[in-house]
Amino acid sequence: MSDNNVMKGGLGTVLLILSVIVLVASFGFVMYNLMSHGHASFNVSSSLPWGQPISTYLYFALASSGLGLIASLPLVFGFKQYYGLAKRAIFLAFIILVSGMAVLALELGHTFRMLWAIPFNMQIQSAMFWMGVFYAADLLFLLWKFQKMESGDWDSKATRTIGIASFLGVLLASGNLALIFGMMSMRPFWFDGLLPIYFYLTAVTSGLAALVFFTYLAYGFQRGAMPEKLQQTLTGGLPKLFAAALGLTILFVAVRAITGLYSNNPEIYYVWTDYLFASPVYIASVVLGLLVPFALMMSTSLRVNPGIQILVSVLTFGGLFAERYFFVVGGQVIPLFKGTWAWDMIQYTPSITEWALTVMGSALLFTLYVLGEKFFNLSATPEQPAMSAAADQPRQATA
Amino acid sequence: MNVLNALISRRRFLQATGATAAVAAGGVGLQGFSPAAESQVARRGSGDTVVTKSICHQCPARCGINVYTTNGRVHGIYGDPGNPIANGRLCPKGHLGTYLLYDPDRFKGPMKRTNPRKGRDEDPGFVPISWEEALDTVAERLNRLRANGESHRFAHFYGRGWGASDAGLYGDFGKLYGTPNSAIGHASICAEGSKRAKQATDGNNSYNAYDYRNTNYILNFGASFLEAFRPYNYLMQVWGHMRSKSPQTRITSIDVRMNPTMAASDRYLMIKPGTDGAMALAIAHVILTEGLWDKEFVGDFRNGRNRFQTGQRVSPASFQERWTHGIADWWNEELKDRTPEWAEEITTIPARHIVAVAREFATTRPAMAIMERGPTAHFNGTYNGMAIHALNALVGSMFAEGGLFYQMGVPYGALPVNADDYMDDHAREMQGKYPRIDMAGTDKWPMTSHMMQETAKHHLAGDPYRLDTAMFFLTNPIWSAPDPLLWEEALKDVFIIETSPYPGETAMYADIIMPEHTYLERLQDSPTYPFEGWPMTALRVPAVDPVYDTKHFGDILIEIGKRIDGPMSDYYRELGDVENILRHRAAGFADNPGDNGVNDFESWKEKGVWYKKPYHWRYWRGSFWEWDGEDYRIEMSESDVRDKLMRTPSGKFEFKSGFLEQHAAYIREEMDIPENRVGLIQWVEPKHTGGGDLHFVTPKTPLHAEGRSANIPQAQAYMQPIVGGRGTCYLELHPETARERGIADGDTVRLSAEVSGERRSILAVARYMPAHRPDTLVLPMEYGHWAQGRWATAEGRDIKPGHSGDITENLSDPISGLASYYTAKVTLEKA
Amino acid sequence: MAKWGMVIDLDKCTGCQACTTACSMENNTLPGESWQDVLFYHEGEYPTAQMKWLPRPCMQCEKPSCVYVCPTRATYKDEEAGGIVFVDWNKCIGCKYCMIACPYGVRFYADEQPLVEPDIRDVYPGEDGQMWSPPYQNPEQDWRRGIGIQPKGVVSKCTFCHHKVSKAPEGVADLDEDDPELVEYVPACVRTCPPKARFFGDLDNPESNVNRLIGDKKGVRLLDHTGNRPQVYYLGAGAGIPAFSPRKS
Repeated sequence: MSDNNVMKGGLGTVLLILSVIVLVASFGFVMYNLMSHGHASFNVSSSLPWGQPISTYLYFALASSGLGLIASLPLVFGFKQYYGLAKRAIFLAFIILVSGMAVLALELGHTFRMLWAIPFNMQIQSAMFWMGVFYAADLLFLLWKFQKMESGDWDSKATRTIGIASFLGVLLASGNLALIFGMMSMRPFWFDGLLPIYFYLTAVTSGLAALVFFTYLAYGFQRGAMPEKLQQTLTGGLPKLFAAALGLTILFVAVRAITGLYSNNPEIYYVWTDYLFASPVYIASVVLGLLVPFALMMSTSLRVNPGIQILVSVLTFGGLFAERYFFVVGGQVIPLFKGTWAWDMIQYTPSITEWALTVMGSALLFTLYVLGEKFFNLSATPEQPAMSAAADQPRQATA
Repeated sequence: MNVLNALISRRRFLQATGATAAVAAGGVGLQGFSPAAESQVARRGSGDTVVTKSICHQCPARCGINVYTTNGRVHGIYGDPGNPIANGRLCPKGHLGTYLLYDPDRFKGPMKRTNPRKGRDEDPGFVPISWEEALDTVAERLNRLRANGESHRFAHFYGRGWGASDAGLYGDFGKLYGTPNSAIGHASICAEGSKRAKQATDGNNSYNAYDYRNTNYILNFGASFLEAFRPYNYLMQVWGHMRSKSPQTRITSIDVRMNPTMAASDRYLMIKPGTDGAMALAIAHVILTEGLWDKEFVGDFRNGRNRFQTGQRVSPASFQERWTHGIADWWNEELKDRTPEWAEEITTIPARHIVAVAREFATTRPAMAIMERGPTAHFNGTYNGMAIHALNALVGSMFAEGGLFYQMGVPYGALPVNADDYMDDHAREMQGKYPRIDMAGTDKWPMTSHMMQETAKHHLAGDPYRLDTAMFFLTNPIWSAPDPLLWEEALKDVFIIETSPYPGETAMYADIIMPEHTYLERLQDSPTYPFEGWPMTALRVPAVDPVYDTKHFGDILIEIGKRIDGPMSDYYRELGDVENILRHRAAGFADNPGDNGVNDFESWKEKGVWYKKPYHWRYWRGSFWEWDGEDYRIEMSESDVRDKLMRTPSGKFEFKSGFLEQHAAYIREEMDIPENRVGLIQWVEPKHTGGGDLHFVTPKTPLHAEGRSANIPQAQAYMQPIVGGRGTCYLELHPETARERGIADGDTVRLSAEVSGERRSILAVARYMPAHRPDTLVLPMEYGHWAQGRWATAEGRDIKPGHSGDITENLSDPISGLASYYTAKVTLEKA
Repeated sequence: MAKWGMVIDLDKCTGCQACTTACSMENNTLPGESWQDVLFYHEGEYPTAQMKWLPRPCMQCEKPSCVYVCPTRATYKDEEAGGIVFVDWNKCIGCKYCMIACPYGVRFYADEQPLVEPDIRDVYPGEDGQMWSPPYQNPEQDWRRGIGIQPKGVVSKCTFCHHKVSKAPEGVADLDEDDPELVEYVPACVRTCPPKARFFGDLDNPESNVNRLIGDKKGVRLLDHTGNRPQVYYLGAGAGIPAFSPRKS
């Protein structure tokens, strides 16, 4: 085990305290506004019901699924060079999903009712019913897998089965999440049977960003402080995987954009011309959040540079957060059946309460993350137990 | 247990089919399993629902309504199926009455002012007082005035007076008290112009009743038939009928803006504001030159050859007129040159359209030409109106089936007292001694009966005198009159008594508030607004006990009267109260039972309306006929027709108006028309105010409830659908007009005009409406209140426009006295 | 059991919004919570522009996309009640998926910023779990069907005035407001319509007046390409809605 994990020390404690303060403050702010004004403290409306809280949830849920998919590279498909990332990936997948659900819980009208109303009414035709089922299963299997890894069991039949179940759970959950949007034939901006593929891909991209960032954070942004294997992963396959994921994401966005701009259908066309490409924020998110990271990761020298890797992951956070937001909101900006009451495209910007909700989710994530780093060895790999003789000696930094 | 409770209380909600629905409603699983709180049905809904009759208050149509009350709370209003105007239906405003009854800004009782300063930003400092104190204060003031020989300095102002139990009391009050100002009515800021146009042509100073159900063509000049024309609810009903019947009624609308009436018509034409008279004259020209006029009503050339040719005179002797007067003079002196090409220059409507409309109108029978404020709220309004109304004569629809006529009065019983028996010396001395404060009926405004908009000016000038005390009922000229700032100045030193239950602008200037009941709390009669001609009068029956400490306006007046020194107080003691008045009026029904059986006060309360069909007269195939109880069989002589139907000097429909000729000197003075021409239906150039380059019109939308919709959130939510105005109104303008001034859709703009020599401005938010005329701006009249309640005055997210009245000059048509609200021309710029 | 349908004749509709305010009074909806609304459209320019409008209740679709997506079955189509689509306020979790899935925009989440300020909910604060409690509240209530004033956090919509319609005698082919025996059972919007442009009757009865109107005047369903199959039909020249286009400035 490496003692170079700074999150286990004082720096981690500082980050924990900061995160908890932000968490409590933002949660308190949100709750205060919800208690006094209800959901009128959000800027969503009956014309545009899903806003930043939903896109935040979407972002977190997909990052979680992406991490689950990345973790299955070693755990299901046997790519041993990624073992160093697996445990942290599973842990992050779990806590990101929990944080996302916390955000969603405060967005709903009646949260606790959900717990009995969904299971007891069995509306199997609803993608949202299945979202509840699959993400519950997903949480369960992530937890179970983590417990297995924590107890040192990386190879048994049971743990492999759970790993496969978790992988399938992730595929179903995120694929179904895509179809929540993709099955809406009345909203052509979203309607796409292949949306799950797009979501898998972008999930992996945001999952990679999260994994890179939080791994570096654990070691104080010093790659040299990381375990050997981990360093090898970060200079070997992972950056190439990241570059590929970014590249494919850009390809998908480009194809969607070209198709949309080509279409005569105003419910698609105008979303691209008058909303997405008319928004400096969207353009910045594509350039800075996707194109620049991709360009950086294409350079063989830059892609293994720790500073570049961290920069790229941070930029990708922003890029994909914006991508989710514009996807969710973009599907609603064209008014459906409103006549002159909707004089132009529907305007939406998140309210301060909605921003606070996003901040709260992030603060919860950081809090749980630091706690995880403190109480678990998230860099554990299956080789370690086998090298029990050398286990007690501190590993030296290499490179 | 929670679950059981939830299940049990839910069963109470389920109606006949509900029990099965509970099982059928969606699949597997426990239904109704909820720890969440729910409403307690026990507190509501288990009492009996009572339905009472009343009359809607939101416009002059006077639709009868059924009011639904449960456990003392009014919760529903629908049209009364037994009321011939409502027929069970209502316009959008009618349903909002429940909001008016429970308006949270209502006054809770009488109050007096403690802050002596008056102004927009002054808090009146009202303190509650008793009714005794309020009435005594007013009476003491009135008695003092009377004792000083100054009773003429007391004025009543009223807007929507309903009938015998309120506005009907004014005449006697003024006579007994000794003031000529009882009361100053609102007609001249309403739609007086069309009445005068009719008086000048067919001798009836009134709005028309119409037989829409049987008409086959409507030529509509500026009446917002599907938005605000009266009686609105009824008009929409007949619209449905007209568009379904065989043959379908064809409708051509002419207006200055795009609106639902124009959009729903078979043909619409957009005309330059103030020029409708030119188009009507051109249509008349075509009708005559093409020989399409109704020969039986108008008459014909003696040899049957049509001599009407453009530009050529005809000999008056060659034409034998039947029921009209002056056609040859009219042709010779005016109409012969009024071609469609001439009209095109003035109206901007292509000549070919004018010709097509004229031919269509004159070859479809029966046809009617209708109008209201659109053409008449201009300096040349009366002449415009006359030209339009003359078209009805030309096609023979006066008093005909499918045509127009007038409303019969109601056979009310007499009051128990006669005011003439209670006049003292002072009252007799004051009769005719002083003119009205608004100078209506004087040499200044000889052809008018009301000129409310002039009052502020006269008071400030002290000419003819200054007012001392004023009492307001259902009118708010300090906001609604043109140039309201002048009123804000004028009323500062007048003792104001306000009877409105709502905190309007007048109330902010009031010294005494004596709030009357809202309409659902009143016992009140109302003879109908003209609609199908036969007499009708509806009744308001209180649906609930008064919510607050208020009084019926009629009773307020009576109580004041009882406190005036002298025989006047005896009169009012004899009169008693409003209920007594109505009982006496209803006694007239005993000999005239209504078609629905109403023959006394009790049955009137039960049914809510008395009416008796049919209209008693009809023109048919060249003769006028009177109803004999079963049919129109009594042929009327020419003098009958003159006495009962066409009360003009000649007893005929006058194309050369004897009424106007009687005021020739005045018309020459005011309008620069040679005295020998004043009687002719002619084209008069409009005089626009404001000094700007764009016409400015301020129409009413269907949600505009008289005096109140600014404070009804449900009305606000649907106020201006044409450009999506909700919670506010936008300035509707043509995109080219906007772009020329650098104004984008959604920009805040400034509208400016000259008023009383000063440049005044208001702000508004603009929205593009490419359907409108590029030279015309449209801002529905609704906003700009500085009082009236929390919603009316809220600023909120949506910028509300300023008050259109602020940039409306006080110019009136000299003949009718109608304030020319629509004649302003303003300048527009980005703010 | 009847299959309740509505027919709206756009050649007669005057665009007055009486149906809208009647609904708001009968169902105590908030300003802007337009269970029933009249939508206006215009195209072209002076002097030959067109303007048209159409009243829009809930379409009570035969294949309601909102029902399929509700995770708790809070919204459901009740064939026994005439095929009306209801919202059970005891089960709705306020996820708003149904609002996303409705192509006609007829569903409302009133727990949002008020259309008109000041907020009427502050003037009449809610009692007994309701979002607001005005003094003029209709006594009718059935939370299982979304009738009455809703609590916070749930979706609400037009119920075809089920609280009235359900009391009509069985087997009636049309609920005609001109029939004194039936007037109290007629939905508010149909009852009050002055030009009598709205009709309510049984679509399953081939002899009903609504079916006759649809047949004679070639009634259409709006946005039919979505496949939802509304139970509301439109007659007349104004039944075509232009596709969205942004305002040019």
